Amino acid sequence: MSSESVEAPPIAQTYVYGVVAREAALELPVAGVADAPVRTLPEGGVAALVSPLPAERFRVRRRDLTNHLRVLEEVFAAATVVPCAFGMVVPSEQSVREFLQPRQAELRALLERLDGHVQLNVRASYDEDVVLREIVANDPSIAQLRERTRTQGNAGYFDRIRLGELIAAELARLRERDADELLQRLSEHAADIAVDEPSDGPVLKASFLVARDRLEAFDAELEQVANTHAPRLRIDSLGPLPPTAFAALEGAGWGS
Amino acid sequence: MSIATRGTASNYLQRAPSPSGLADVLDVILDKGIVIDAFVRISVIGIELITIDARIVIASVDTYLRFAEAVNRLDLMESGGVGLEDLRGDSDGSSKRKARGAVEGVKEKLTGDADDDKDKAKESQKSRS
Repeated sequence: MSSESVEAPPIAQTYVYGVVAREAALELPVAGVADAPVRTLPEGGVAALVSPLPAERFRVRRRDLTNHLRVLEEVFAAATVVPCAFGMVVPSEQSVREFLQPRQAELRALLERLDGHVQLNVRASYDEDVVLREIVANDPSIAQLRERTRTQGNAGYFDRIRLGELIAAELARLRERDADELLQRLSEHAADIAVDEPSDGPVLKASFLVARDRLEAFDAELEQVANTHAPRLRIDSLGPLPPTAFAALEGAGWGS
Repeated sequence: MSIATRGTASNYLQRAPSPSGLADVLDVILDKGIVIDAFVRISVIGIELITIDARIVIASVDTYLRFAEAVNRLDLMESGGVGLEDLRGDSDGSSKRKARGAVEGVKEKLTGDADDDKDKAKESQKSRS
């Protein structure tokens, strides 16, 4: 009876956080998803970070999201880790072993590549008012259209659409130009870059894989970029983070 | 971590060691990292769909009108308004921020459960400010 209760009950599912080298010495965090204790599950040269998950339909809470990240961060503080995306649940610990077994070499290679590196998430956004001023000042046709629509009221509906269209196009052009500059300057200090899909929001949103001994240089470059572009650009730098954006396996995954 | 505590010469570079808002947490852990497929993920599918939805921004008449409105309400220097120097103080209240907050609000709504109501209220208040 007592030996049964030591093992996770067979009915429970297994939540997977990531993969470390089997020999990694870790202080395992206490609370993971569903507040369950996290442990390592070794298979060959690697080990998965897992915790039991109640078999009944599980509802994700805010705490589960932050706990997933906290587990990765705490493990990352002591060892190299290949993070899993949030929400990886498999039926049993045996399923985890079956996942790891054929991928040991690939996972070890990935761990080696990520070793000594951290992830920095950089987001650069315009101060919209500053950039709009810039656009009006640099383009006489936009400035004229602006003057006209300011006095036209509702009668200038189509002029206003035209004005907005011109501004949107100019903004897109500036975004592309500034994103290119940022990427070029920062890439000199990064081992890898993952750019997020451009959208209407930030000028640039990207993750950088940076060697720990290049962190100072990367940060100095960021500061220089920020100073060059102040006050039109605001840059947020998040990290050092575990390399979530740089963990990908060749094969699609399970059963492939 | 030392990188986060170092002082910065300007307000235009903000460093944080770890994500604090839920949107930033999602940004780091959702769809990033290795995927063990063939098994259903826990029910975050709703979150994924909507966050993707929120990322899609269509260049529409509404967008154009918003830009026109934004540029028209600008107090340009030519009309005796403020110069760039005066703007340095209020970059926190820019409309860029408000726009970003709206998108994040969608994400936050999705993951707020009954036991997180207080947090949720706090978050959406923040994104509206």
